[in-house]
Amino acid sequence: MFARKESRFESLVRACSPELYRYGYWLCRDRFTAQDLVQETFARAWKSWDDLRDDKAAKSWLYTILRNEHARLFERKRLDIDDTQELDELVDRSGRDPAQELELRDAVNTLPPAYREPLLLQTIGGYSCAEIAEIMNLTEGAVMTRLTRARIALRRADGSVAARKGGTR
Amino acid sequence: MTCFEFRRLLLAHPRERTTEQEEHVAQCSRCAKLAADAAAFEMRLEQAVLVPVPDALADKILLRQKMRPQARYRLWATAATLVLGVALGIQLYRTYDAAHENVDTAMAVGTNHPAVAAISFVLDHEPELLIQNRSDDPSVMMSAFQRLGLKFPSDGVSVRYLGKCPVPGGTGDHVVLTTPYGHVTLILVPDYPVGSRVMVADRNMAALASPAGKGGYIVVAQSPQTIRQIERMLAS
Repeated sequence: MFARKESRFESLVRACSPELYRYGYWLCRDRFTAQDLVQETFARAWKSWDDLRDDKAAKSWLYTILRNEHARLFERKRLDIDDTQELDELVDRSGRDPAQELELRDAVNTLPPAYREPLLLQTIGGYSCAEIAEIMNLTEGAVMTRLTRARIALRRADGSVAARKGGTR
Repeated sequence: MTCFEFRRLLLAHPRERTTEQEEHVAQCSRCAKLAADAAAFEMRLEQAVLVPVPDALADKILLRQKMRPQARYRLWATAATLVLGVALGIQLYRTYDAAHENVDTAMAVGTNHPAVAAISFVLDHEPELLIQNRSDDPSVMMSAFQRLGLKFPSDGVSVRYLGKCPVPGGTGDHVVLTTPYGHVTLILVPDYPVGSRVMVADRNMAALASPAGKGGYIVVAQSPQTIRQIERMLAS
């Protein structure tokens, strides 16, 4: 029985830790803190494992725990974040235009948290508006509005970068 | 479905598409073009948010999970830690008193104080950084020493790690030294003020934040005595 519980937990860690790390990273923008957040999320999940009735709900449950952990952390302290320290490691080396990608990352960074969070849940977690509404305790309409505004802001930022680049040529 | 409705749904959830949206896009070339643009933008957005995940993250999580003490032992462990902490506290207090040095607690100076933050950084992040075995340009470190008016402590001291770390206002040079007194961490901050000289004891470690040049430096070590030794080396 215990072995089965451990094996289910391990499968969940392997399946969900990368996306939870990414979500955590975008919430706190610090890779060490993001790792701690994911670690603490799974520690809390293990403690309350017996409360998990439906395996299909596990992922949303983990996202909710991570959100709460992040909120708790920021109640305790404000993180001093050094964005430049992260840049080298964030530059992707798979052939995409890294400058363009960094500009878009900057734009995501500058979104107000209320817009950024549902966007990340949708983009990283693959959640629908209804699911995001449940995780964030909002109405589906409010989520749709926030997602729309987030994308408009990102497209504007992206457009102004493109225009700036075009103007300097 | 109107173009307005189509575009609203496109912005809210570009990856999902209803039958009505499919029908609309088949009839409206402008919305079809917008949908194609949106799909390209979504791909870029998805790539942008996919930050690299640390190696073996799942293994680390599982390992730490296995190393966590069971609940029934935790209470004993907490009690033992408390007793040990009080004993160490008394010992440290006596030692500090003998040296006539005012050593503050984290509670007194606040958890955001650079010295307290440095202790947290050393305890929480340094072990992992040491595994990376990183070494930045030594000339940058030596320049920071010069700008702060400090001397590199050469007698029996070697650099174990050299990198950058976040400090209030920017970045500092993070240097881990192997010294005759054990590992000592130096955080050099030549460009940002660190405030007045403060020695802090927290989490069984000690840290000194001291102004120098236009900025300052922080030393983190096992004890205030070690910090004083290193301070003498930096000044001589």
